[in-house]
Amino acid sequence: MSENLLLSARGVNKNFGATRALIDVDVDISLGEIRGLIGENGSGKSTFSSIVAGAQKEDSGTFILKGQEYHPKSMVDAQEHGVSMIIQEMGTISGITVAANIFAGRLEQFAKGGLLSWKKINAEADRVLADIGAPEIKGSMPIDMLNFEDRKIVEIARAMSTNPDLLIIDETTTALATKGRRLIYNLINRLHEENKAVLFISHDLDELMEVCNTITVLRDGVIIDTLNKEQMSIELMRKLMVGRELAGSYYRDDFDGTSSDEVVLQADHISLRNGFENVDVKLHKGEILGFGGLSDCGMHELGKVLYGIEKPLTGEVNIIKDGKKKPVTDPVTAVSYNMAYVSKDRDKESVILGASIKNNIVLPSLRNMKKALGYISPRSEKELTNKQIKVMSIKCRNGEQLVKELSGGNKQKVVFSKWLGTTSDVLILDCPTRGIDVGVKADMYKLMMDLKRQGKAIIMISEELLELIGMSDRIMLFKDGHFTKELMRSEELSEKTVIEYII
Amino acid sequence: MADNNAIRHNEKNEAIQAALEKKAARKALINSIVPYFGLIFIVGFFIIVTQGKFVSADNIGNLINQGFVLIMIAVGSSFVYAHGGMDFSIGAVSGVAQLVCGLLILAGVPLPICILACVAVCVIGASCTAAISLLLSVPVFIGSMTVRTSFTGILKTATTNSDISILFSDYAFMNNTAIKAVILAVVISLGIYLFNYTTIGKYNKALGGNMLTAQQAGVSKNRVIFMAYLLMGTCVGIASVFAFFRAGTVSAYSGNGYEFNIMMAIVLGGFPMTGGEKSRILSAIIGALTVTCLSNGLQLWGLDALLVSGVKGILFVIIVALSYDRSAGKLVS
Repeated sequence: MSENLLLSARGVNKNFGATRALIDVDVDISLGEIRGLIGENGSGKSTFSSIVAGAQKEDSGTFILKGQEYHPKSMVDAQEHGVSMIIQEMGTISGITVAANIFAGRLEQFAKGGLLSWKKINAEADRVLADIGAPEIKGSMPIDMLNFEDRKIVEIARAMSTNPDLLIIDETTTALATKGRRLIYNLINRLHEENKAVLFISHDLDELMEVCNTITVLRDGVIIDTLNKEQMSIELMRKLMVGRELAGSYYRDDFDGTSSDEVVLQADHISLRNGFENVDVKLHKGEILGFGGLSDCGMHELGKVLYGIEKPLTGEVNIIKDGKKKPVTDPVTAVSYNMAYVSKDRDKESVILGASIKNNIVLPSLRNMKKALGYISPRSEKELTNKQIKVMSIKCRNGEQLVKELSGGNKQKVVFSKWLGTTSDVLILDCPTRGIDVGVKADMYKLMMDLKRQGKAIIMISEELLELIGMSDRIMLFKDGHFTKELMRSEELSEKTVIEYII
Repeated sequence: MADNNAIRHNEKNEAIQAALEKKAARKALINSIVPYFGLIFIVGFFIIVTQGKFVSADNIGNLINQGFVLIMIAVGSSFVYAHGGMDFSIGAVSGVAQLVCGLLILAGVPLPICILACVAVCVIGASCTAAISLLLSVPVFIGSMTVRTSFTGILKTATTNSDISILFSDYAFMNNTAIKAVILAVVISLGIYLFNYTTIGKYNKALGGNMLTAQQAGVSKNRVIFMAYLLMGTCVGIASVFAFFRAGTVSAYSGNGYEFNIMMAIVLGGFPMTGGEKSRILSAIIGALTVTCLSNGLQLWGLDALLVSGVKGILFVIIVALSYDRSAGKLVS
């Protein structure tokens, strides 16, 4: 066993202010092992992997890599020791070429007398790209020419170009479609055959079961268990992650797709610059309307148009209240008509990371909290915050804690809280469960059903087909900027039917 | 096995957690009182080196007179800095406002109208800065540079031949320290109210924290930012009125340097240059007091007036180095 050991971590601790991200973590990874690391957001899995990859330092604990003490000073230092990482949502550097991205920070090796040989760099980049199975991407291409998925592949190439003994993959596959996923699985297989190791972090439990030899479960910074191939099951993993049995089904269990005839939001003849043509949308009271398609099909932009963030080329959006049409021209009017919007890009658009939970939650409610002379009482702000923290069971110290200290799932709860704190009747939710763990996901679905029962209308934009099928009363499908098909809720609806209309 | 481990260490863990929370609370406390320490240190230092002259009745009067302008502008500027804005044109605009005030008085216009005109010029100047940057979607830096250049031009042209002076003794009551103290107290109270207890301050802070989030939450960006500049303009206007009557004359250098003193006050007071959640109006006021005490104290100590700027500059660098948040550049947060 011991000569087979690649990395051994003992008693690793890491604190962020008063939050303990890792508590006495012990992990052993053997050569040839594909180790999965799972846990809810905030359980410490990204913290652990980024310490191993040299992106941050542990507070205490020891690491032994290939029999030697290992404390990387930086990510470059870690790469020199054979540990490379593909980071969740790090992205590439825009404005330079693919090759310059792959060898960013390591260009010295191509220098001769103070000059760089771009011919050599591009050739080496092409070799690495072909090696990982993406020969169609060339080193000389400007990075901005590539789409999101191909840029992700360039990141993989960057990690693989150092020829690592331990490759850490942090939630990369959530950003990838079929092509990228296949490429990653092939790489993992190859590393396994070459007797190297992979540390694989993902929310996709099915994927992990398929790919990994062993899976380690983290919860609140503590290792809960490590499962081998025979012990793995989705139910067990979920239970270990959340720390309780998840009762009932994940999605809604009825197949009644009927809703009221009362239209609350109507968009006519919407066209967008990127080829989105003449789309009509009608949303009814108490309805969950799903928008489905690939990420660049235009549905995210349509969501922004419906909320007035982006202006359509043609067409108009109206809220219908008491039989009267009221045009939605910008978010200010949208909010005044009790609309709510949750962006796909949570950290950039939906929360103020540097602000407290309280100031995030009260923001859209402030206009209703004004008393004489515009006075807003700190007490009413606090009451609203504490109520929402309780209702949504946001895991935090108190309302004064900064949102950036929270885990992804809890951040999303803050986003929902701010809209539920004010009376929102029409909610546009763009990828509401993106990057959220199972426990919070189930809470979100339950919440959406509660809202539906209260007569609120919801548009749920999603790239996850199961979620669309599982939650929507009606689904509108889009492909390349065209509306392709409308499907009603039914028991027979399958992923296969839906895929036909989006690819 | 690991599960048992966790239970066994439960008590130890609770103790660690408690210690960590104490540490975090202490750190937050220290961060919040550092600007006060700076002020207290400076006051203490000057009391000692001037053998008490720094806090003599005479000098307290001086401090109020000198501090009045800067504190007044700091109150208004808080709203602008809170949303991440700034203004390079404060000094130039104030100079022109003082010029207008002086010319009107020489023309025999009643005093209240002169005062109103002075304030109006500052409000117009600030509105121009805001309008240029908002309507043309250019950085406010550009907008305020444009305004600064134009207003400096007006002031220089008007004062080319001679400075404009009024008879000082006719307006002694405009230099009454008690009146100034009362006005200052009223403006500070109003500022604190608007900043902390109304949407004006809260929306500006939200815009500074994340412009997209605030807009999507229904905050009307242009209106809120414009409001901040209006408030700042009003405060600069009131400050300009009293600055004028204190000097009794308008020259090409009237108002010169206000914007930089304000920036220094903002930084020394611990007010974040990018605005957002940590913006505190009290920080700006404390910063303005610190800058005032520093300038006054260095002069009282007998330091050459030419050296005062140099010393202020060095202190500025030291405090920025100690307090500036560099964490934004981190790779993994």
